Amino acid sequence: MTGPSSGEALAKPAASGLGRVLDHRVLLSIAVLAILPWLLPSKALAVNVLIYGVVVMGYNLLFGYTGLLSFGQAAFFGAGAYFTGIAIGRYGVPWFAAVALAVLLSTCLAALIGVISTRTRGIYFSMVTLALAQLVYYVALQAASITGGENGLRGFTVDRVSLFGLQVNFLDPVNKYYVLMAFAALALWFQSRILNSPFGAVIEAIRENEQRARACGYDVERSKLVVFMLSGAISSLGGCMLALHLSIVPLDILHYQTSGMIVMMVLLGGARSFFGPFVGAASFLILEDVISLWTPHWQIFVGAIFVLFVLFLPKGIWGTLLDGFGIGKARP
Amino acid sequence: MPKAGSTSRIPRRTALAGLSAGAALLAMPRLGRAADETIRIGFPTPLTGPFAAEARDQVKCAELAVKLVNDKGGIGGRKVELLVRDDKLNAGEAATRTLELIEKDKVHAVVGALSSAVQLAVNEVTRARGVIYVSISQSDTINEAKDFSKYTFHEALNPHMTTAAVARQTLKKGMKVAHLVADYAYGHEMLRGFKRAQAAIGADSVGEILHPFGAADYSTFMPRLMSMRPDVLCISNFGRDQANAIKQAVDFGVKQQMKIVVPVILHNQRLAVGPDVFEGVVGGANYYWGLETQSKSAASFNAAFKAANGGAIPTDYGAYGYSGVGSLLAAMQAAGGTDTDKVIDALEKLQYDLTKGPQHYRKCDHQSVQSVLVLESKKKSAMAGDNDLFAILANDNGSDDMLRSCSELGHAT
Repeated sequence: MTGPSSGEALAKPAASGLGRVLDHRVLLSIAVLAILPWLLPSKALAVNVLIYGVVVMGYNLLFGYTGLLSFGQAAFFGAGAYFTGIAIGRYGVPWFAAVALAVLLSTCLAALIGVISTRTRGIYFSMVTLALAQLVYYVALQAASITGGENGLRGFTVDRVSLFGLQVNFLDPVNKYYVLMAFAALALWFQSRILNSPFGAVIEAIRENEQRARACGYDVERSKLVVFMLSGAISSLGGCMLALHLSIVPLDILHYQTSGMIVMMVLLGGARSFFGPFVGAASFLILEDVISLWTPHWQIFVGAIFVLFVLFLPKGIWGTLLDGFGIGKARP
Repeated sequence: MPKAGSTSRIPRRTALAGLSAGAALLAMPRLGRAADETIRIGFPTPLTGPFAAEARDQVKCAELAVKLVNDKGGIGGRKVELLVRDDKLNAGEAATRTLELIEKDKVHAVVGALSSAVQLAVNEVTRARGVIYVSISQSDTINEAKDFSKYTFHEALNPHMTTAAVARQTLKKGMKVAHLVADYAYGHEMLRGFKRAQAAIGADSVGEILHPFGAADYSTFMPRLMSMRPDVLCISNFGRDQANAIKQAVDFGVKQQMKIVVPVILHNQRLAVGPDVFEGVVGGANYYWGLETQSKSAASFNAAFKAANGGAIPTDYGAYGYSGVGSLLAAMQAAGGTDTDKVIDALEKLQYDLTKGPQHYRKCDHQSVQSVLVLESKKKSAMAGDNDLFAILANDNGSDDMLRSCSELGHAT
């Protein structure tokens, strides 16, 4: 359930025990997600962990594996949600086709933003992604006749979904969770395929040493653009799930604070690890959910805990745990 | 693939047993709750964020309404419980919290939300699941046919009502009016209301300026507004924006040239900024404690609130919490329980007087028909005490004429 080591040479599985189990990281991740709703205080929270887990997983591909610190991931999260809602609500597209369409359109948006932003590096890359994402925010705010503006997008409640001829009550929290989990499983599998492919090794090479990757003959610019699009596609799937889950799309989803939250979640869970995004999303959301029930001053406590994590667990919760089991040590 | 140390291994059986035990433990309270007879009301409100002061007042008042019913033995012997949740002034968060309240806490109804976008999100969740929702946020949208459902009730005033009352009190035929408007749904709805009232009276608009939500600096807008030479300046924004905008207007000497009018004059903002700045500003309100000299129910509401809160007085937005929860509980009392259809029926028939005079929910759109106050901020020398903030200019009795007609809202009549 951890990330692959850089370079295929290092990555030969251990012969026994935990290592062999961890070969099946996708299946293991899905197994954990399958029991999640029974471990958390509420199903709504579990669905949110799924959604943010997928969004952060998409972001992790960009930040954790390629080393590109983007501050604009909310644009794709929001685009997925808005496109899904608009397709269902305004054009009556069936829910499944709406999701596919939304991911496609969001990937195009990611290509557009990626073409502009991947030409820059370091802090400039962060700033350009932030600016372009804010642009998307203001477009959504101003195009009130399509997006609902400040009040958010409404009027596309999905209450029944048909699965293989089977009618499922989507308002039932358990049904909803497992339908949305199928999307998360798809995203997990997809990400695993990317990371296991030669392309996965290339993006990690870019993270470790861009000049060297270029010297080896890899097309760094194009790789960055492709990973930006893939990252946008996965994060937008999270947006689609949110739209289906809440039956509304709040404008806040496009705000830069959402981008900030995604960055925090990936740091909390552990960048560069396969399952870290889900751990990060879960820890963040559970902390917020539980502490805000106890006290209206929850922000002080969540903030303090976050500071402690950043100070003492720089690899994030999952990264540190894996280290503890001696798994992360194989990596440079 | 990563290597693994085969050291600390947990036997699979132990792990499975532990997991199922944990899951069972978490499921326990839910099983226990099934036999529980308590009536649960969900109350999402923005305890954190710029409207936190108003939200805290709402919680205090809502708790008071619950306490008064419980002191009298509850509803049909069942105690009432208020489940307050922080919606963080975020529509997505509010929707999630409402889902939790319905799915996990099994609430019988939801009351609350302060911002317009947030209440629409809550409404979307409750109506899909057939749960009664009493909104206490100022909104012109929630009663329109598109967002309406039989489960949706709107206890708060709407922009149409407050702007009409304020305009009637301050505008005359031929007057010139300028607008400073917060650029989001609340501001736009207020502007629409003012313009409609203006047209009816025969006053003319000389210009409008939109400012971003949460702006701290209004100095660039003031000279432009003054150059329009209006008789009245309508400032349509909320919370801290209102205080900041009025403060800077006063600094620019706007008041010497024109009268300042706001759609809703906020108790907490007036307290925060002080009498000198607000002096002479006129605005609408749903409640003011000073109403107690005119209204018996205001007097008893004030007294109950003071007794429960160490002598403090209730505020305008707080009163919404009391009347929103109070009207719902009164309907449950009349319906003899929590059966959704019976409670809806009872709410539609309900005549209630909790804080300021008679109120009822209009049948077609479930908007609460109620009186609208127009208040003027007193000058410091005219204040009898720290809490003597406003003079009541008008107390327009509630009537259907105040509202947009049902057909205008898109309802079949």
